[in-house]
Amino acid sequence: MGEAIRDNRSPPFRVVIVGGGTAGWMSAAAIRRQLGDDYAVTLIESDEIGTVGVGEATLPHIKIFNDMLGIDEAQFMRETRATFKLGIQFRDWDRPGDCYIHPFGAFGEPWGGVEFQHHWLRAQTAGQLRFPLQDYSYSVVAARNNAFEFPNEDKKSIRSTYSYAYHFDAGLYAAYLRSWAIERGVRRIEGQVCDVSRDPSTGDLKELTLKSGERIAGDLFIDCSGFRSLLLGGILGVGWQDWTHWLPCDRAFAVPCKRVAPLTPYTRATARRAGWTWRIALQHRTGNGYVFSSQFINDGEARDTLLGALDGAALGEPRLLRFSPGRRERAWKGNCVAIGLASGFLEPLESTSIYLIQAAVIDLINLMPRPGSGTDPRLADEFNRLNEMQYERIRDFLVLHYTANSRAGEPLWDYVRSMPLPDSLVHKLQLFRSRAALPNYHYGLFARDSWLSVLVGQGIVPTGYDRLADAFTLPALEERLTEFRNRIQTHVDAMSSHGAFIADYAQAAEATVSEEAAA
Amino acid sequence: MTAHRPISRVVVIGRDADLWLCVNAISRALGPVGVHVAAIELPTRLTPSHVSATLPPLEAFHAKLDIKESSLLRVTGGSFSFGQNIVAGGGGPAVGRTPNFFHAWGAYGAPIDGSAFFPCWLKATRHGLNISFQNFCLTAVAALNGRMLLPDEATSAFGRTDYGYHMQTMAYAAYLKSIAATLGINMHEAQHVMVEREENGSIAALIINATLRVEGQLFVDATGEDAMLIGRSLGVPLEHWRQYFSVDRVLSARAPAFTATPPFAEIRTARAGWTALHPTRAATGVVHAYSSGISSDEAALESANAASQVKLADVSFHSVNPGVRARAWEGNCVAVGGAACILDPIHDVDLHALQLGVVHLLSLFPVTEECAAERAEYNRIMRSYHERIRDFQCAFYALSSFDGDFWQRAGAQAVPQPLLHKIATFRARGDIAPMEDETFSPESWRAIFTGFGVMPESWPPSIDRISPDRFKAEFSRTLEFIKGKVLEQPTHDGYLDSLCRTSTA
Repeated sequence: MGEAIRDNRSPPFRVVIVGGGTAGWMSAAAIRRQLGDDYAVTLIESDEIGTVGVGEATLPHIKIFNDMLGIDEAQFMRETRATFKLGIQFRDWDRPGDCYIHPFGAFGEPWGGVEFQHHWLRAQTAGQLRFPLQDYSYSVVAARNNAFEFPNEDKKSIRSTYSYAYHFDAGLYAAYLRSWAIERGVRRIEGQVCDVSRDPSTGDLKELTLKSGERIAGDLFIDCSGFRSLLLGGILGVGWQDWTHWLPCDRAFAVPCKRVAPLTPYTRATARRAGWTWRIALQHRTGNGYVFSSQFINDGEARDTLLGALDGAALGEPRLLRFSPGRRERAWKGNCVAIGLASGFLEPLESTSIYLIQAAVIDLINLMPRPGSGTDPRLADEFNRLNEMQYERIRDFLVLHYTANSRAGEPLWDYVRSMPLPDSLVHKLQLFRSRAALPNYHYGLFARDSWLSVLVGQGIVPTGYDRLADAFTLPALEERLTEFRNRIQTHVDAMSSHGAFIADYAQAAEATVSEEAAA
Repeated sequence: MTAHRPISRVVVIGRDADLWLCVNAISRALGPVGVHVAAIELPTRLTPSHVSATLPPLEAFHAKLDIKESSLLRVTGGSFSFGQNIVAGGGGPAVGRTPNFFHAWGAYGAPIDGSAFFPCWLKATRHGLNISFQNFCLTAVAALNGRMLLPDEATSAFGRTDYGYHMQTMAYAAYLKSIAATLGINMHEAQHVMVEREENGSIAALIINATLRVEGQLFVDATGEDAMLIGRSLGVPLEHWRQYFSVDRVLSARAPAFTATPPFAEIRTARAGWTALHPTRAATGVVHAYSSGISSDEAALESANAASQVKLADVSFHSVNPGVRARAWEGNCVAVGGAACILDPIHDVDLHALQLGVVHLLSLFPVTEECAAERAEYNRIMRSYHERIRDFQCAFYALSSFDGDFWQRAGAQAVPQPLLHKIATFRARGDIAPMEDETFSPESWRAIFTGFGVMPESWPPSIDRISPDRFKAEFSRTLEFIKGKVLEQPTHDGYLDSLCRTSTA
């Protein structure tokens, strides 16, 4: 069909993707779905090169991506052993014993044109009613109860005030997208790139030579080769902006363990002496990892810490991953675009890796050169501008988790508490501390309620709040707060358990999740 | 130590609509929590020729002040404005290659199979479609036919249909002042004002007419380009934008009312500048913008007379020196409107810029006298808003291709980097590069870009999957819908008659 309406009958534009992890197959599938036959998509991957596949937790945006592909949710969840995710639980982050959830949902609701946190703060300081902020989020309370249900469509309902994401096996997700894409015409080549030829006049990439001797020519190359950044970093020499001074973690051990009930609808991130451990419950196993800074702990100790933290028997040996936080100075240069780890890395603390892939793929599809035309530096400039904005906004949010801590006496935590921060973050912290104002921008992550959950969760107590909140009488305010909190509790009490919901909706054949359905 | 007292006394100094909008908004929002507002009113600079042309967000601002639209329009002889009609040559000989176009406050086209309308129109145009962008804009078509656009379910599904107003400014200012009088605001008329400073440099009080001392904790400078507090007293410099704009002189005058009040502003370009006609039911406000290096005031008047095709009355002149205050908030003084940023006269943004300044002051109203965080954020966000408005204004001059010395000079001015990027992205792909703190919607940007004949070189390839027949069918359906909807609408004057009747009843 694409053939019939192509303008000038130019041959298909050749997109060559190097690397077949999550980034590679998300790119391939989305381009195929959105651009059709005018674009010939080839993906080169090697079974000999492993994928990182740390990103087993996602953000709600991925549902938009899957819907765009027309993926059936229940089938996809079965295939990837997925569970639902309502947020992230942070344990011991401000100080040992603390616990809060960053939910994919709202806290309270604005009253009298004043954001909720001001009302809550006022009640905390002036009134009798002192429930934690967390109690005013539907998704937090649902997550605490290990409950799950789809959000309500009726925007007036409190059950519409959240969204959800998934935990899944990233390797299985890539495999799922691989069969999806191959069925629809993406060409997959098994092989390893051993040589790259370039146009001597423009410097553009022309052709890849594989170990087998096969040569693959392309018009646009997408570098999804992971940390190696084979094309963008390696061949084109695009520089690296290092953020280790803000995000000192540079290694991770990862190991799955046997799953124990109940099936938690949230990711858990527990602060440790030299970093943090993750725990992600899938249908068939639980993923675990320790993200740490090699400046503050040695590999052996980190490995032992991780194994000691498991809540089920380890399934295999912990695998060590090395990385550096930061980003390539430009993700798109000439006719090469890096997506995923080849373009930058931010630790998985807020599950942003797959989101960053998705955002880059969507921007690329929108700014993609058209058949018969070369790459346009103006389009690359816009792509790079958007990409940089995404990275920097997420970076500030991640740094917040570290720098606002009271874990005195632990060298990593002492360092991050006193390190110089990006100006953009200093400004945000100052605004929240003095008047509970939240960052408010339209583009990129994260939204106001996300900032609120982490700012409060990390123990920052504003010294003031919006004067306009004082327009309510205290008794009227406390009545509203009580009603809201009760409304959440009543609705959450009626929800089904996450385990039972999965068993009913999307249980993989060999996974057993029903044990707590009965409980 | 008084650094942690909450703020309970705000003093606003200024004149006319700026002053009264500001004091009303602050008093309404913060009066209930114990903030008292004093208004220091400077002598008016308005003449009966002045007409306020406003942007759509003013309606929501008025709503917060409980201003009823029907009363407002009756009192100010006001009318609706659905956008700007930009006309080359103003009925006289055409100047340059830019055809006429309409910049509407409403949606252009509706999405086709989930794809944005604009690239579909762009592609079809490249393949020979000869229907201008504005013909797909319900608001524009209604306005050009002298009709209202009353939203209903079908138009809401189609898209945004916003409007601004044209109002007699003297009547508007008096109306706002009468509201202030009901709010318990302390009002002082001032011929002469002295500023009393604290040792730390902040403002302690204003001495009015050498007799009355008005103390405050926070001072709002709404004195327009005089910048009496922020500039003259505190010495915060104006960063000039002269390199971007060649208009340095503006003529204001009055023309008779149109027989049928057009529901839009008209910008007529001539060789030596442009003339804007702002119709109200009482009279038509005329603004002529030019460059004093090219035209004398006499020549400007001639040009404005020619453009409006009548002899103008109540003619006055003033200079424009565009620029942004280095810091809109310094110490305990917050500048709003022209005191914070002097903008070019194109697109009638002054009152909107004032609104932005007031709205952000309210959302950042200091918790106590110690307000470093609020000040830093206010200065950051207001600069960003002002610069995005500046970019939109610059686009008018950078992209137009009218003939004449004025346009040559205007086109040769510097172009701010964010605008260069926006233009480049649009030329390349038809996208409006998303930026924070925009006043003008992507649809406004597209209207201006396409109006000036900037046609993108490509479109997102995803729309190539939509067949040409789908385009054709959807275009016809949209044009039919617009035609039908416009015919259902009352005329502008008919609607104003009924509206103002209701309000007097």
